[in-house]
Amino acid sequence: MKFTFRPSPNARDVLSTKRIMLELTLALMVVFAFALTFYYVEYGMKYVIHALSLMATSVLVAAIVEVLWCVFTKKDIKKHISSSFPIVTATILVLMVPISTTLYAMAFGSFFAIFFAKLLFGGFGHNIFNPAAAGRAAMLTSFAAAVTVDMTTGPTPIASIANLGWIITDQTVLSELLAKFGGLTGLLLGWYPGGIGETSALLIIAIGAYLAFRKVLDWRVPVFYVGTVFVLAAVIALVRGLGIWYPLYHVLAGGLMFGAVFMATDPVTNPTSAAGRIIFAIGCGIITILIRVQANLPGGVLYSILIMNMFTPTIERLTDGWQIQKAKKYAISIGTLSLTGILLFVFVANIMVPVVPKEPDPEVPVINLGDPIGIFSAATATATPELTNTVTEGNVVTYTVSSKGYAILEGGYEGAKPNVFEVKIDTAQGKIVSVKVITFADTKGIGDKIDSETFLKQFEGLLIDDESISVDTVAGATVTSVSAARAVRFAIETLKKGG
Amino acid sequence: MKKHVVGHKELTNYNEIVKLTVPKLVYIPIFNFNSTNFELLVKEGDRVLVNTKLAVRNDNMTVPLFSPVSGTVKGIQKVMHGLLKPLDHFVIENDGLFEKTEAFAPLNWQEASRQQLIDFMMNAGIVGCGGAGFPTYIKYKFAKDVDTVLINGVECEPYITADYRMIEENIEDLMTGTQAMLKAADGKRAMIAVKETKKELLAKLKEAAANIPSIEIKAVPDMYPMGWERTLVYQIFKKRYNKLPGEVGVVVNNATTAIAFAQALKGQPIIEKMVTVSGDGITKPANVLVPVGMKASDIAAQLGGYTSEDVLCIAGGPMMGKTVTNDQFVTTPYTNAITILKTRPVDAIECLRCGRCNDTCPAGLLPVRINNAEKAKNMDLIEKLNVNDCIECGLCTYVCPSKLDVTEGVRRAKRILALKK
Repeated sequence: MKFTFRPSPNARDVLSTKRIMLELTLALMVVFAFALTFYYVEYGMKYVIHALSLMATSVLVAAIVEVLWCVFTKKDIKKHISSSFPIVTATILVLMVPISTTLYAMAFGSFFAIFFAKLLFGGFGHNIFNPAAAGRAAMLTSFAAAVTVDMTTGPTPIASIANLGWIITDQTVLSELLAKFGGLTGLLLGWYPGGIGETSALLIIAIGAYLAFRKVLDWRVPVFYVGTVFVLAAVIALVRGLGIWYPLYHVLAGGLMFGAVFMATDPVTNPTSAAGRIIFAIGCGIITILIRVQANLPGGVLYSILIMNMFTPTIERLTDGWQIQKAKKYAISIGTLSLTGILLFVFVANIMVPVVPKEPDPEVPVINLGDPIGIFSAATATATPELTNTVTEGNVVTYTVSSKGYAILEGGYEGAKPNVFEVKIDTAQGKIVSVKVITFADTKGIGDKIDSETFLKQFEGLLIDDESISVDTVAGATVTSVSAARAVRFAIETLKKGG
Repeated sequence: MKKHVVGHKELTNYNEIVKLTVPKLVYIPIFNFNSTNFELLVKEGDRVLVNTKLAVRNDNMTVPLFSPVSGTVKGIQKVMHGLLKPLDHFVIENDGLFEKTEAFAPLNWQEASRQQLIDFMMNAGIVGCGGAGFPTYIKYKFAKDVDTVLINGVECEPYITADYRMIEENIEDLMTGTQAMLKAADGKRAMIAVKETKKELLAKLKEAAANIPSIEIKAVPDMYPMGWERTLVYQIFKKRYNKLPGEVGVVVNNATTAIAFAQALKGQPIIEKMVTVSGDGITKPANVLVPVGMKASDIAAQLGGYTSEDVLCIAGGPMMGKTVTNDQFVTTPYTNAITILKTRPVDAIECLRCGRCNDTCPAGLLPVRINNAEKAKNMDLIEKLNVNDCIECGLCTYVCPSKLDVTEGVRRAKRILALKK
């Protein structure tokens, strides 16, 4: 008979860290499944396969790093892996990146998250930074240009509003912006491309509520985080008269829900006291929106969490002590922090400058040149033009020539008129100075391509005594081009006749 | 600040109360609430009767010990006590005759003065039956401006149902004891608090108290540690105090203590106890009536023995009771349970820093911070974290998802802080 000694208590709740992590992983998989459905429906199987490859890469790299770590530190592999939970970090990391991320960038991110952000700090429970957030930050800085494979999706809601300077007073611009994502409802549902698992605020809220109910995560962090962002965005909206859409946009876009539910709640990198968590969450909210509207960085959520992670030990020290006695002190700290945030954003709102979107440049038609035409070729000998005016200034003679074009020769339009050209010739040097279109009478959108530098520049400097001179016609506007060549030939011949 | 804890009370709640055979040898611990200063009144070879006074605590408090059997004093022996200390015990050989003597004269509480009642409490050896064994008369001696005498029948420890069964079986005594205590405290009213989940008992109590205007029956939530004075006083009165509930005009006593007081008024000292023997490690869990001084091994043997070769033998409930590494400890006037659990491996991993311990600590402490400070041997921080306000209720270990011994860490912190001073 053995009477084992074990210090009291000897009753334990069923909830275990392993079950917490299992439920968290399952929740993340639901988010991933939503993303896969979206990419399948909107973009096709190729995108689904890429998303799955990203997941496989991330999880595999994380597992390999953990196993190698065990080998080098001589730890029991099975025991270590089962209490280190690399899959959670690896999955969160995948859900944060855009679908266009390359596999090697993904592998790098996963390695960085597990090795540098977690294992080097002493492993699970000892890391200072949220490993997934650290991995994502490393990817953002190292692979900013290389995240794209041959897959393209539109700009995210955050990038779109960032391009407008985070302030939109113009209703047309606003409705254009919201229309991109199906309005605020669309932002809530998340049926648009972005971070793979970050888009659907609604799904994440539902899962977050369930996880909070299951005590897998602490409800205080997401509630105070999102609440802070909402209130501060509302402050900006109030100061600048923007309307309720503004705080809602801030809350629904840019992976805020995802970050608030899945990353800011990471207990390892949180303060442990209730008051500490609230301070942490409010801090995240302030920094997120500050980064968004002032630093104009896309990763407001990400960096805010990493920055607040650094404050965790300080917050812990601040909230140490007897909780019952200090309740008032905590309330004052939280109130002061909130008030500071609000005042800060009253100031920030006043210095924000909207970016007026530029009118797109008028479209310059592309001029393609086709077959050459000799100025003195047979084609220019027909349909003799008419000289309407001659001006002589020193050595330069300017002829105004009316030459029949497509409208008369081919189109047979009613009331068709010839094209009128102005041809300048330097008589001393025997060169053409310039050719200009004075009146264009052929088909708009086709023939008018001859009124371009590409075509007209060819005439400049041609020698009038050279019988072989030629220019290239504008492709698709041959008849009109010939009408120009004909006008030039007529001007030269008029000059040579002594006219 | 409190939490529902799985009770396992169904194991013993409805079973019949078993009166166990008194063994050949009983061992009476010469000990009361941290003190072993006793004047011995019998010596080896003396014949004693049931209710013979064996010894009296003679330092700053007076607590007599009585014999539960008739027989011969075989001497004094060091035996492991349920509080994990080896202590001197009288060994008395039971002659099986149960010849009785009068321990003290009965007292009519309605005619007695407050002072008489308090003196009587002292001479009858009434101690807190909730588990600590603190001499009850002290509370009444120093009671001043008492508003409420609060009778605690909450019994929040898992597995234990002894108080519940005691109340059920002795409702009249409970009413008498409560009124006598109210008089001894010179208070305005009395309250009996029971968990709201015990509906039948509440109905019976209300019926019994219907004609006693000074007694109010109070239902409280099924939470742990609702039976702790501070939690209970806060739950009912929404008041907090620094050291003793007297600061807010409340005297708290266990329901079984009130019953024991009523029985003492009839001339019967505490020589027999209702003890819950429960858990998955005992073959027949039951509430048993046993004499003071009966060994756990004798009790287990009469309940079909253990169900496993490797058990945790706990003097008390699983939350606050201490595991003893043998079953040779004995029942005392303040024993309310022996819990036998099969030993199961605990798979502890790194602290997740989830903060559940901080959220649930009924004393408002930060157990995870205390543990970290203890590991770092940061004395200033340990002190700042009010470690000595911990009552070792065990809730922090209970809720820990990483299955760490958080409470034990806090105990270590207390010890190193005490050593430093």
